Amino acid sequence: MKIDRRLFANFDWVLLGLLLLISGIGILNLYSAGYNLASGGEPFYTKQMYWVLLGLVVMVVTFSIDYHIIIRHAYLIYVVSLSLLFLVFFYGNITHGSQRWLVIYGFSFQPSELMKLAIIIALVRYFDDNMGRGYSPGNLAILLTIVGIPFFMIARQPDLGTAMFMMILFLSMVVFIGVGRRLLIYFTLGGLIFAPLCWFFLKDYQRERILTFLNPERDPLGAGYHIIQSIIAIGSGGIWGKGFLKGTQTQLRFLPEQQTDFAFSVFAEEWGFGGVCALMFMFLMLILWGLKITRYSRDLPGALTAFGVTMFVFWGIFINVGMVIGIFPVVGIPLPFFSYGGSSMIALMAGAGLLMNVSMRRFILQP
Amino acid sequence: MFGKQDRLTGYDPVRFRNKIRVIIWLVFLAFFILIARFWYLQAVRGDNLRQRSENNRIRIQEIKPLRGLIMDTHGNILVDNQSSFDISIIPEAAKDIEGVMNKLAGLCDWGPNAISRESASLKSGRPFIPVRVCKNIDRDQMAVVETNSLDLPGVVVDIVPVREYIYGEMMAHILGYVGNISGPELGRAVYSDYRSDDIVGKCGIEKYLDGYFKGKSGGEQVEVDAAGRRLNVLGGVKPSPGYNVVLNVGADLQKICWDAFQEKAGTAIVMDPRTGAVMAMVSSPSFDPNLFNRGISGDRWKKLTADPLCPLQNRAVSGQYPPGSTYKLVVAAAALEEGLITENTEIFCDGTYQMGDRTFRCWKKGGHGKVNLHRAIVESCDVYFYHLGEMLGVDKLAEYAGEFGLGYKTGIALPGEKGGLIPTKEWKRKKYGEPWQKGETTSLSIGQGFVLVTPLQLLRAYCAIANGGILYKPQLIKRIETVDRQTVRDFPPEKEGFISVSRKNIDILKYALRGAVNDPHGTGGALKRPEKDVCGKTGTAQVIRMREDTSDDVVGDIQYKFRDHALFVCFAPYKDPTIAILVIVEHGGHGGSVSAPIARRIVDGYFNLEQRRKKK
Repeated sequence: MKIDRRLFANFDWVLLGLLLLISGIGILNLYSAGYNLASGGEPFYTKQMYWVLLGLVVMVVTFSIDYHIIIRHAYLIYVVSLSLLFLVFFYGNITHGSQRWLVIYGFSFQPSELMKLAIIIALVRYFDDNMGRGYSPGNLAILLTIVGIPFFMIARQPDLGTAMFMMILFLSMVVFIGVGRRLLIYFTLGGLIFAPLCWFFLKDYQRERILTFLNPERDPLGAGYHIIQSIIAIGSGGIWGKGFLKGTQTQLRFLPEQQTDFAFSVFAEEWGFGGVCALMFMFLMLILWGLKITRYSRDLPGALTAFGVTMFVFWGIFINVGMVIGIFPVVGIPLPFFSYGGSSMIALMAGAGLLMNVSMRRFILQP
Repeated sequence: MFGKQDRLTGYDPVRFRNKIRVIIWLVFLAFFILIARFWYLQAVRGDNLRQRSENNRIRIQEIKPLRGLIMDTHGNILVDNQSSFDISIIPEAAKDIEGVMNKLAGLCDWGPNAISRESASLKSGRPFIPVRVCKNIDRDQMAVVETNSLDLPGVVVDIVPVREYIYGEMMAHILGYVGNISGPELGRAVYSDYRSDDIVGKCGIEKYLDGYFKGKSGGEQVEVDAAGRRLNVLGGVKPSPGYNVVLNVGADLQKICWDAFQEKAGTAIVMDPRTGAVMAMVSSPSFDPNLFNRGISGDRWKKLTADPLCPLQNRAVSGQYPPGSTYKLVVAAAALEEGLITENTEIFCDGTYQMGDRTFRCWKKGGHGKVNLHRAIVESCDVYFYHLGEMLGVDKLAEYAGEFGLGYKTGIALPGEKGGLIPTKEWKRKKYGEPWQKGETTSLSIGQGFVLVTPLQLLRAYCAIANGGILYKPQLIKRIETVDRQTVRDFPPEKEGFISVSRKNIDILKYALRGAVNDPHGTGGALKRPEKDVCGKTGTAQVIRMREDTSDDVVGDIQYKFRDHALFVCFAPYKDPTIAILVIVEHGGHGGSVSAPIARRIVDGYFNLEQRRKKK
């Protein structure tokens, strides 16, 4: 493959720098979270290092191939991801009562993470093909199918958090592309009918989650305990934090899921409000940078791809951080580039690669 | 270039630009909300929450479930759970580690060296992780530590459930043992939902059915004091114990087999030929699985693994032996079924057989004279079978061995089963790059040479003669059930297939096996029990080629490891057999004189038990 020299000239060093900075702090944070853990096997922070490295390799792949070519194959990628979800349904590994993992040669892999990315580019492809023809109920049906199938597959694993996350991602893109008033009414009506219906399809433990969010005392061992301990951890960090490796909530293991869902609580406890502001500033820069790429992209698929990936990261931050400070229910959405998780790290790095892809090619005209 | 709408694509950057401006404001708002909340928690409520974190004594403690029990076929418990007590110290809570350790040693009458080794790891380790300083203390010591707990800050007594193998070494190979999950095991997909402090089965049934035994952990929200002692339980979820497993093995029959063996190395298996149920399985020498409970000491482990008699190996399923004369059954079945001989075919045995430039001998010096098939089996005439082997050829023999399930794993519910070896011409070409020699077929026809079988395979083959041709899967497990005796999984008899030998020929062979025990010159005369009507076959498997000048009765002069293996397979009663037994004594000498008496004790014991049970 011949690569245009101008691509190097336009390489997005700011984006790469932000990613490395955030992932690096994340790894340091995992080191602390695992410090007082009687461990068997490789510690989380070294594993996360491997995932970041592997993610960077994947990123190189996703920014090297022109995003127009990737979007041309969007439906293929979508179908492959969907088949993996079906595989999970039949052969997936069951842990903690839900079937989310596919084990291949000893490696666990979560296809729902890949699906988030596949949905974004499938939507880009669909909007790009149908732009300017107006929306009919037919369009709506197809859109809902693209999102609906994976939504149900993931919701019945059951992983309602990830399923809802996908829905939010989808709605963000729909609003961004702009919909007619009529379609907006359809969506609103659909949502109003759908939401109470959902309540009946929820598993008991999922209803319990929502009730627990409203009243943390309901579930002393599970989510309620998680929220309380997380808030204590964050608050006790104060302005300047307790110091690296010195967070008692973390080191005494009062804080649950320190490596994954509540990794940010560990950070907030040990680095305090100052640290939180610094890290949140980096995240904010990342999002604004993504929106800047969206704004200056040279065509519609570019803008949509950049926007979709930016929203992927944004909602991840907003929901995860909202969760650890107790303004959202505990839904198991990792903090992008920060929480431990191989599948999510790879999917995010691949997404970042797409962002870079759009950024690098904004001055290059298609031949 | 971004100003104008692109006519071709309908791309309108201006519209997006305005939208992006709105979205940027929304993103700022979102981040502002989050930061505001952090400000509220960390600055406004910071002091309050820091206090709460310092007083935070509420944590989740996992409660491990009890591992499932194992019962024998009559409901007697074979493996139970007991409690063992450990002492740990939390360095951060103990502060003065040296002082606490000395106090502990004084209270429990330990010598100064008993716990000093761990103090190094106490000082250098992580402050909040409890360090186990003493394992497996007795109840009295535990009581002393508990009553003095106020003087012993940071000292915690852990109750650890341990497995109790009631029958010790007698059943070690069936039941296996348990231990802490190892690093490599944790990495394997089967153990994906295990954690680094879990106990897993390491071999035997414990390993094979680990997922059923495991159960589900519960947890408690407990209030602990500064030293980590529990003050209050605030709520929790009970663990659910693992499933219990019922075996087909009977503890009483197993004991009879074990006692009959008396220190000899070898194996005995008892099977029900009507179902394939394994009623007893002994492998000797054995080991005490209780030794592994709290981690076996290095010395003991070394001793077990270095023992030339391999006590850890389950000879019944992973021992591979030349079948010796017991293999003649397969040769005879093949010759009959192929129409090469009838039951009346007579061959003259003068004690030798010439194949090429090699002379093969019959075990009986001077030969048996004129023998037919019945007498050839009864008196185990080698020359008769040398001739049959020559007629059949190696590949035909292998085909029939396969019919009897030899050369394949039986699929019994135990890890580490071996498949045995049934040689063919192709096998030898691949393995050695040499063509098959005719003389090798001659050795093969009396179960010598390359052929290897596992004891379990061999017994199953004889069961197929006993039950009229059905090859059952050997079934060790009868049932898996919940604690309140609800069946989770049943293990009914599984027919693997039918051997392709006609009913008539099976009857001829079965009658000959009866003769081998009951006829005047039968090699299995030791089992002669008119009322029980035993059928059987002896076998003497040479470990090295028989030297020309040794005869069988100078066993004592030969070095142990070069002595023959003694085999005996039998079933009873002749009409509708209910029990089949295999006995192999390694390097024991002659099958008829060493293994047959052991089999006799098992047969007698079995029928006594049956009678007693009927009376009840």
